Amino acid sequence: MRYRSAATAFAFLAAPCLTWAECRAWDETAYPDLKGQWRPIGDPTRFDPSKARGLAQQAPLTPEYQAVFEAAIRDQAAGGDGPAQSCVSPGMPRVTNGYGPLEVIVTPRATHIMVEHINDSRRIYTDGRDWPTDLHPTYLGYSIGRWIDTDGDGRYDVLEVETRGFDGPRTYDDSGIPLHEDNLTIVRERIFLDKSDPNILHDEVAVIDHALTRPWVVTKSYRREPDRRPNWREVICAETNNHVEIGKQDYMVGPDGQLMPTRKDQPPPDLRYFNRSR
Amino acid sequence: MLFRRAISIAVLLASMATAQAFDDAKYPDFFGVWRRVNLRVAGQPSFDQTKPWGRGQQAPLTPEYQAIHEASLADQANGGQGNWQSGARCMPPGMPASMNVYGEMEIVVLPEVTHILLNHNSGYHRRIYTDGREWPKAVEPSFQGYSIGNWIDADGSGRFNLLEVETRYFKGPRALDPTGLPVHADNQSIVKERIFFDKADPTTLHDEITLIDHAYTRPWTVLKSYRRDPGVYPNHSQEDCALATANMMIGKELYYLSPDRELMPTRKGQPPPDLSHFKTDR
Repeated sequence: MRYRSAATAFAFLAAPCLTWAECRAWDETAYPDLKGQWRPIGDPTRFDPSKARGLAQQAPLTPEYQAVFEAAIRDQAAGGDGPAQSCVSPGMPRVTNGYGPLEVIVTPRATHIMVEHINDSRRIYTDGRDWPTDLHPTYLGYSIGRWIDTDGDGRYDVLEVETRGFDGPRTYDDSGIPLHEDNLTIVRERIFLDKSDPNILHDEVAVIDHALTRPWVVTKSYRREPDRRPNWREVICAETNNHVEIGKQDYMVGPDGQLMPTRKDQPPPDLRYFNRSR
Repeated sequence: MLFRRAISIAVLLASMATAQAFDDAKYPDFFGVWRRVNLRVAGQPSFDQTKPWGRGQQAPLTPEYQAIHEASLADQANGGQGNWQSGARCMPPGMPASMNVYGEMEIVVLPEVTHILLNHNSGYHRRIYTDGREWPKAVEPSFQGYSIGNWIDADGSGRFNLLEVETRYFKGPRALDPTGLPVHADNQSIVKERIFFDKADPTTLHDEITLIDHAYTRPWTVLKSYRRDPGVYPNHSQEDCALATANMMIGKELYYLSPDRELMPTRKGQPPPDLSHFKTDR
């Protein structure tokens, strides 16, 4: 009886919160605290941060795409255009490498992962939607997520995400490990705070792609900066990037504003559209 | 006695929840995809959306900056880019032109910050800090500037209905519209905004923007309007200027790119780029 009285009193006090605010009231305490600025633990130029760059990543590529990758390495060694030289979005899953500071914005309807380097901020819908029937392909893909309470404590602790609907070409990292040109990649993620250190965030990324012999699963980790009012720098790739792609060639614009080759004996661009009699 | 203790526990629990939880019912619901209201005036989206772009804006420019605008118009008429860096260089428009909303806008309200996510050329992002901070002593200039906001309960309803914002610390070059309507090269602009729902139409959002800038003879105030996408599950598109642009700046010259990405002139008689850094005996 006494317990019932106490319960009734609590229900009476809590009830206005449930009825007045209706579904608009958002209990952010049900979600993990992901606020702040996150920086990658390990080298952000690699997809698998536990392994060295390039061939040492031991990407489980099919023989066909292993050959594509090795050709890309040879081309870059000769001065060719690596994937980090353009201002086109790196796309998924490369944006998970964390080459810039990350901000995670959690709302009930979507979780945003802001990178702000080269058109690479993600929106993960968590509003219960289904896959659209008219998915427009993009480099970042279309992400649908679901919050999970894995330990039954009444709070969400894992964000499960699936991303589809890609455009390409995309690579896993700066060394040029390729994804399949059919762009039918599926990326599955589990994003969660470290159980022993709430200032470490993990992203377990599983890539399913026809250029792979099996799903490639890596776990990425990020550390939260201690300053809860961090400085966010505006980074505009186009402001400082001096690489230009003309035809199928990568050139540079020099300090004098003139085109320059990026490798020895590179031919100049085709100027057939200009009146060359001048 | 026990009932009193129960009340005390309940009050304590309720106050703890209040301290931690974000009561989003106190804030206006800005969720969704917002697009600029097209008022069918001539030209591309501009700062004062009720008037045509360019000269039609009747901008209160100083004579010096009126001449700079005229030079931009003349350059564009001759195939150049003028003062508008956003298009050919894939640069962000910067504030206050970001709020012209060429593509889509999303607004995410949290107690300590309001994020404005803009999709044009690329994804651009404004952070409006509403955590009570003062202006920092040192701010790195940026195209979007540094914004501090304050939520107001303008009608005493117990809910916030107006976000007042001030933005400073810019870098440039920036312009107000694609004709190259300039702001001052000193980048000392101050932009004040009042963001609020239309009282008669909750699907329409307004941003009253006042630009204070040394290129203008007086503060210039305009009222912008945006309409919310009616979809239950709105989709946000992604633009990637670097991928899609058909323009290329080399030095100070603007060129077109053909479908096979070869250089083309943008004006009659335009010389090709200087190739003196290449071997000429080929």
